[in-house]
Parts: sequence; C-alpha cells; structure tokens
Amino acid sequence: MIDFPAFGSAVAMLAGSPSAWIWVVPGLLIGLVFGALPGISVSMAMALVLPASLYMDFLPAIIFLTSVYTGAGFGGSIPAVLINIPGTSSAVATTFDGYPMARKGQHSEALGAALFASCIGVLISYIVLFVLVQPLAEIVLRIGPYEMAAIGIWGLVLLGSIGGSSVAKGLFAAAIGVLCGTVGMNTAGYMRGDMGISWLLDGVPTIPAMVGLLAASQLFALVNAKFIVEAEEHRTISLRRILDGGVMVLRHPVTLLRGTAIGIFVGAVPGIGSSIANLISYGETRRASKDPDSFGKGNPEGVIAAESANSSSEGGSMATMLALGIPGGGATAILLAAFAMHNVIGGPRFMEQNRDIVYAIILSNFAQAFVLLLVGGAFVFVASTIVRLPLRYLIPSVLVMSTMGAFAIEGSIAGPLTLLVFAVLGWLMSRYGFPVAAVVVGLLLGKLIETEMLRAWQLAGGDAMYVFEHPVAVGIIVVMFVSLGLSVRRDLRRRAALKAQAVVVSAD
Amino acid sequence: MPDTQVRRRVSWAPLLLVTLLAGVAASYLVEARGVSLSPQNLLLLQPTAWLVLLLWAVLALGYLRTPVLPQEGPRESWADVSRVVAMVAAFAGFILALEPLGYDIAIWGFTLIALIIGGERNKVALVVFPAAFGLAMIYGFRLLVPYPFPTSLL
Repeated sequence: MIDFPAFGSAVAMLAGSPSAWIWVVPGLLIGLVFGALPGISVSMAMALVLPASLYMDFLPAIIFLTSVYTGAGFGGSIPAVLINIPGTSSAVATTFDGYPMARKGQHSEALGAALFASCIGVLISYIVLFVLVQPLAEIVLRIGPYEMAAIGIWGLVLLGSIGGSSVAKGLFAAAIGVLCGTVGMNTAGYMRGDMGISWLLDGVPTIPAMVGLLAASQLFALVNAKFIVEAEEHRTISLRRILDGGVMVLRHPVTLLRGTAIGIFVGAVPGIGSSIANLISYGETRRASKDPDSFGKGNPEGVIAAESANSSSEGGSMATMLALGIPGGGATAILLAAFAMHNVIGGPRFMEQNRDIVYAIILSNFAQAFVLLLVGGAFVFVASTIVRLPLRYLIPSVLVMSTMGAFAIEGSIAGPLTLLVFAVLGWLMSRYGFPVAAVVVGLLLGKLIETEMLRAWQLAGGDAMYVFEHPVAVGIIVVMFVSLGLSVRRDLRRRAALKAQAVVVSAD
Repeated sequence: MPDTQVRRRVSWAPLLLVTLLAGVAASYLVEARGVSLSPQNLLLLQPTAWLVLLLWAVLALGYLRTPVLPQEGPRESWADVSRVVAMVAAFAGFILALEPLGYDIAIWGFTLIALIIGGERNKVALVVFPAAFGLAMIYGFRLLVPYPFPTSLL
C-alpha cells in the first residue's frame, strides 16, 4: 500500500525545499486567528489567503493552505470553550462540554484537551491517509444517497437527547431544528416556509442561527453573573493546566481513537465533512459512556470526542480530494482551486503520476500536527485571558461581534435578523430545559437529510423498499434505533426515580 | 405509596412556549401542503411536523401535571429576571436599529445600554468604552468584510 520509492523521493523533496517549511507557522497562525473569529469559516480563511499562494511554488502553496486548514480546524474550538461560540461549524460539539468546563474554571484543561486531541487526531488521520489513501477513496465511491441520508439521521437521533432533561424534549428540539433546516427551496424546486422573504429562499442562514442559538442565548443567561468563571482563584491561566488537559486526552485513548475513526470516515464522504463528524463522535461517546448524564456538564471526554473527530476529518477529506479529485467540503474545494491555479489537476491521474508530491503533502502535515502543539499552545495561552474580563464588558462586545460576523456571512441585514430570532428562541428553550444543541444539529442536518432522501427517492422511483438493497444504510438505521431505544430506557428510569422523589417530598 | 399523593401544578411558561412552537410547525405544514402534496415536497417535512405535534401533546400533558419538587438553589429574583429581559430587549432594539440609525450609532447605543444593564456605573468607562469599541468594530470590519454597511457618522 505504501510506495517506498515515492516516499523516499518525497522526503528528499521536503528536505531540499526550505521554502516549503517557512509557510507552516504563518499558515497555522492565520488559521488559528480566523478559525477563532466567529463567522469566519475554515473555507473563508483559506479563500482569503488563496490569492497569496499564487505567487508560491506548488508544494509550498499547498503546504501553506493545509497549514491554514489545520490551524483553523483547532482555532474554532477556542471561542467554543471560552464563550460558547463555535468559531466554525466543526466545533459545535466542542461547546457542549468545553464551555461547561470553562464555567467551572477548567478552561485551561478544556483548551489543552482540545489542542492535544486535535493534534493527535490530525496526526493519526494523516497516518491512515498515508497507508490507506487508495482503498479509502474506493470505499467512498460506493457511498450513495441512502447511506448519506442514514448517516445524517444517525447524527440527528444520537444527539436528540443532548443535555436536555428528557428524550421528548430532545426530539422536540431536534425536530424544530430539522423543520427550520427545510425552510426555503428544496432540491426538487418546491418553495416552503419562506414567508415571502427573498433571502429565506436559500434557507435559514445556518451560521447566524447557530451563533444565536448557542452563544447569544447563553450570554443573556449570564447577565446576572460577574465573570465567566465565578471563582477568582480559577481565573488563572496556567501552562501546567493546559498540559493537564493533554494528559486527559492520553487517559481516554478509546474516546480519542473512536473520534478519530469517525472523523476520518465521515470526513472522507463528500458533502458531509467535519461539521457532522464532531456531532456523531460526541453522540457515540456519550452513548457508550458509563456516565452519560455527566455529558453536557463539563465532561472532558466530550471535548476529546468532538475535537479528535473534527480534526481527523481533515485527513479523510484530503483522501477523497487527492485520490478522486472530489472535494469533501469547502476547504478541500479551495485546495483543488489552488491545484488548478498551479495547472495541476487533482484526482486519480495526479495520484498515480505524482505520488511523491502526495506523500510530501502528507509528511508536511505530520510536521504541522507537531508545530500546532507549540503554536496552538501559545495562542491558547493568550486567548485564555478572556476569562479575566468582566461579563458586563464581554456580553455586549461578543453580541456586537457576533452581529457583525453574521452580517459578514450574509452581506445583508438577513444575518443579524436571523441571529436575533434564534438568540431569543435559544434563550427561551434553554430556560425551560430544552437542549438548544439539538436544534442546531437539526438545522445543520435537516437540509442534508432532505436532499439525500430526495435523491434516494428519485433513484428508487418512489419505492421505499429499495432501501433494503443498501445493507450499509440499513445497518446504520438499525444502530440508530438501538441507540434511541437505549436513550428512551434511560429516560424512563430517570422519570421513575423523579416520581419516587416527589412522593417522598409529598409524604414529608 | 399511591401516586395521587404527589402535588402537581401547571407550568404555564414552558407550556406556552411548546404550544407556540407547535403552532408554528402546524402552520408551516399547512403552508407546505398548500404548495404541493407531492412526496418530493413533503418527504421529510410532513413526518417531522407530525412528530412535533405528537411530542407537543406529550410535553403539554407533562406541563399540565408538573410534580412539585423541592427548590434546588436560590430562586431567581424579579430584579435578576428583569435585567435579563432588558438585555434581550436591548439586543432586539440594536438589531432593528442597525439599518435605520446606522451600524455606528446602533453599536455605540447598544454597548452603552448593555453596560448600564450589566451594572457599570463608572462615568469614564461609560463614555470611553462604547465609543472606542464602536470605532474599532466599524473600522475593523470594514477591513475584513467586502460588503458596505450603512453608518451615520463614521
């Protein structure tokens, strides 16, 4: 599976090209800064620096862009942990436990865990890519709309009960999210729920809605607090505690490897990518945990699961891009554009004829994962000062920045208006115990599930039984029902305990 | 001990919220069915809307008979609740004022009001911070964002 002569040639190419290395640190820093800015996605960060790469040679240009990709992948987790705003859609699941950890004064540990899980995730994903690039790409080609719809529904159902006090509330929130995700014109051309507003034809703007639901709603709930971290002694920023977070990652190898495997596989599927990988990994880790109730309340395993998956999905999407020439998402589409700018066409022929360059790209990413540990560590140290800011200053500042970010994405008042509507919705729902994260997941997956179900429906000519000819899709749906059954059982047991408690109180 | 001894009450606020959301889902379903009854239109939307209505029934029943539990932690005071409501209202006002007043004035005004709601009483801070922050936001985002946004003064 490994072409050793090409590998030797790649090592020689990197050793003899210092210009390829000098762009790694600037690329990582740019990625970290843009990834940490809410509203600026990984693909936007890469698009902003794409013109600069035109003046570089092919290999340095690709290494620079993949450095931005790697940096932004982790950068999104910093505001997710510190202020509950996922810097990118890939960091949504990081907020679920990262932010509760920060509220408990464990922001350094949470960021350390996110950093180490990201670096190890990137490293493992590129090792897998190095060994299995060709077979992985062949598996991806066999994935059709049935399997993609099943993956989407799997992610949704796994997360139906995140953080909420009951499965019914979780499913209600997820279903509301799915309905929001179906607003506008679907791929069959039907326009629904747009209320005559032209910008809703493209659907509800996802990022502003997500920031409103997760961040703005939480900020409202913090109006009466003085600092994100209440206890003054916990507001310190400590390198030792960041490293303790790294140790937490090493203590949970199963969570890390599960997240990495999910990230590589889901990241390799075109059109799905890291924004769903982190959610599925989080849901699976919570389901498999002996203490699922601790998730959403500051369990470091939640951060490890989310971060290992979103960073390892980079390797997965690179496999599809390099072996097939198919971009898995916006970031790899920009990498393909960079290939084209240098008159290189990605895909099977590039893979066959330039395996040394492919190996050089993979090897440079190994190095990026190690450099990210140092650069990311320093960045985290500086960014953590946010916990020392009084909330009376932080709340209006973050709300205004989120509003401007929402405007930057949409280029119109549509972004801020969406932010407002979903901020109020999120505040009300979280006030009454509904898991707001489930609405976000529904919103993210609703459109994807509908599109893939429509494609499957059209391919099957309306015959629902045709799904049984796709055993992978059926397998995923079976896993999903088992998972849902387990969640319902857990919920019923908790209700029984609650009832018993109420009876005791009444008797007193 | 029989179940009838459990004290119950109606939770009006969450009941109102789920009823409102279920109502929106129902009206969305009616509107979508008015567009077309084709499965290509309703494949995901219709079963999801029905699921929302079913779950509304389950949740509403629960809110009508909420068991009374011992109070956990201190209860929110009216002052605490009114500060949160004031912040939500100020944010809504800020978003709605962005275009009529301009982004610069709206940011300055919202930052000032939010600082006061948050408890800042230092006059220097109230004068300097909203103005400095507004300047930084407007000029910073002008560098980053390719779209123009309306301003009144800057």
